[in-house]
Amino acid sequence: MQTLVAQTGAAPSLFSPEGVVGIIFLLTVALVVAGAFIAVNSKRLVRAVAGLAVCFTGLAGVYYFLLSPFLAMMQMLIYVGAVSILIAFGIMMATPEEQQSVGMKSRSALAGPLAASVSGLLFAALSLLGLKTEWQVFPREGAGDIKAVGLALLTNYGYVFELISVVLLLAIIGALVLAQKGRN
Amino acid sequence: MSGYWSEIITGGKSLVTGMMITAREFFKPVVTEQYPWEVPTMTPKFRGHIELIGNEETGAPNCIACGMCQRACPSGCITLSSKKNENGKGKVLTSYVLDFTKCSLCGSCVESCNFNALRYSMVYNLASFDKNDFIIDLMKRLEDQNICKR
Amino acid sequence: METSIWRALLYLVGIMAFAGVNAAWLGWCERKGAARIQRRTGPMEAGYQGLLQPLCDGAKLLSKQLLVPQGVDGILFRVAPVLAMIPAITSMVVIPFSENVGARNMELSVLLLFALASIGMIAILLGGWASGNKYAIISGARSVSQNLAYEIPMLVTVITVVMISGSMNLRDIALDQQGGFWHWNIFRLENGHFVTMWISFLIFFICSVAETNRAPFDMAEAESELVAGFMTEYGSMGFGLFMMGEYLNIVVGACLTATLFLGGWDGPFGMTSGIWWFLIKIYILIFTFIWIRWTFPRVQIYRLLNLSWKILIPFSMANLLITAALIKVF
Repeated sequence: MQTLVAQTGAAPSLFSPEGVVGIIFLLTVALVVAGAFIAVNSKRLVRAVAGLAVCFTGLAGVYYFLLSPFLAMMQMLIYVGAVSILIAFGIMMATPEEQQSVGMKSRSALAGPLAASVSGLLFAALSLLGLKTEWQVFPREGAGDIKAVGLALLTNYGYVFELISVVLLLAIIGALVLAQKGRN
Repeated sequence: MSGYWSEIITGGKSLVTGMMITAREFFKPVVTEQYPWEVPTMTPKFRGHIELIGNEETGAPNCIACGMCQRACPSGCITLSSKKNENGKGKVLTSYVLDFTKCSLCGSCVESCNFNALRYSMVYNLASFDKNDFIIDLMKRLEDQNICKR
Repeated sequence: METSIWRALLYLVGIMAFAGVNAAWLGWCERKGAARIQRRTGPMEAGYQGLLQPLCDGAKLLSKQLLVPQGVDGILFRVAPVLAMIPAITSMVVIPFSENVGARNMELSVLLLFALASIGMIAILLGGWASGNKYAIISGARSVSQNLAYEIPMLVTVITVVMISGSMNLRDIALDQQGGFWHWNIFRLENGHFVTMWISFLIFFICSVAETNRAPFDMAEAESELVAGFMTEYGSMGFGLFMMGEYLNIVVGACLTATLFLGGWDGPFGMTSGIWWFLIKIYILIFTFIWIRWTFPRVQIYRLLNLSWKILIPFSMANLLITAALIKVF
């Protein structure tokens, strides 16, 4: 795993441990891309959610490769286990027709090219940014384990931590308001 | 609030009670009979199809062919024939056929018999693919039983 | 530790074998247990006491046609049973069977188990939806609301154990409880944890029954109202995989309970510890799963959710606070 981070020079053999790890990394990336494509392109909403779950799983793999297993697990637990399931749940509760497809009818001729160019620009800009930036290598905090994460959250990033709790509070209040509206 | 706690306590108690009951049943002996391997014995009052009673010594049927059972049968299951006794008075049974497909096991035939010649058999596992298997020749059955007895 | 391919292969084969044998013969155990409780005999014909019954069932399921009914979502319909099976087997990787038997000693194994459990939930949801059948969809929705409701108290009680042991590694948690039953988390004398930990154990066990969709919480299956729930449209091995996934989830739940609360592979009175103690513990727990299933009738969905939100969650929260206070005070 560590060897992959600073890999320069000749590509390792396919059958060396590094090679196998590299293949697994490529698989996770492929999972992310494939999941995202399914999520965007499928006409059935539940399939799109399944694609999203695949994408999240791939992302968890990427996090694991970035030496933060805790984040990877949380990604699985929260995004795959809760967020996508809740979305699927909402869809199942909301659609009266089982096979309802996403409305693709009322789109103008411009929509396709416009979306393509915008996303292409975005992709190009992000790629450029990634290539041009002088990346700083931060020292690793702990072994990516929970102890290090906890310490970092409650010392260096305490302010952010508090802000997140405010966001959660807002979300709860928002949910209550919406629910109240629905009741009246 | 007191309702909350009492509900938890009574609920927990009832759960434990239920678990104890099933645990007790778990260790009690099994009541299932493994049918083809374990054959149940029928109770004396069991009503199978009827059969003829043979004489204790000779093994000949007690029946005097009076025909009461034939007349008593509401479904007409019983067909019997007889001939005149050559040695003495009365009649001798020559055939006694029961059509069990029509029998409703009402027992009128056994009740109507005054000569201790009919009774219910203990046969309970009657099953066949052929309807004719249930047209039973009771004379032959009695003979078979006599052979078995000897 | 030397990285050898043989070790990995050996564990792969061992785990697959353990999972397969358990998935097959727990079905037999369940049928026998149910039969004994109802004073019947259960399967008797295939082999001694019907011990070969699972093989016959397997052969029957394998030889049936894999039917994909009209109007289902083909891909998701086929993927769902596999998704039900994979996380259950994968979970076995991080379970420490004894001090030296365990495929992977992972720092965040507790978290990994719960992450994998959430995939199992997706399997039920997708299987239910893809069937395109109203019973299956209702069952999927029920099962998700149930699993989400019971995941909260479960995670909170796990946090109490993690706080006591100071680790999220299942092996470290088990190592922390060595040396007789008074060290086990459920009756832990140290710091007076025994006052509340048995409640934690009960909460955790109830939640694991609910998470594995077992009776009396089998709202997802509910034969009497939903035919067979999300499994309605499945036949042959699709159904078989769901079934095996369910039994494997029970095994994983029992392993987790044994490791978190019952000292893992530790002997109760300072006896020689070893893998046999772990196996004895998990099979006692699995028997309890079966025992519970054949004792209690299915609960209503409202009562089920009330139990979680009104009783289990407040109790687990209170437990968390008390445990934290005990750790701080002593």
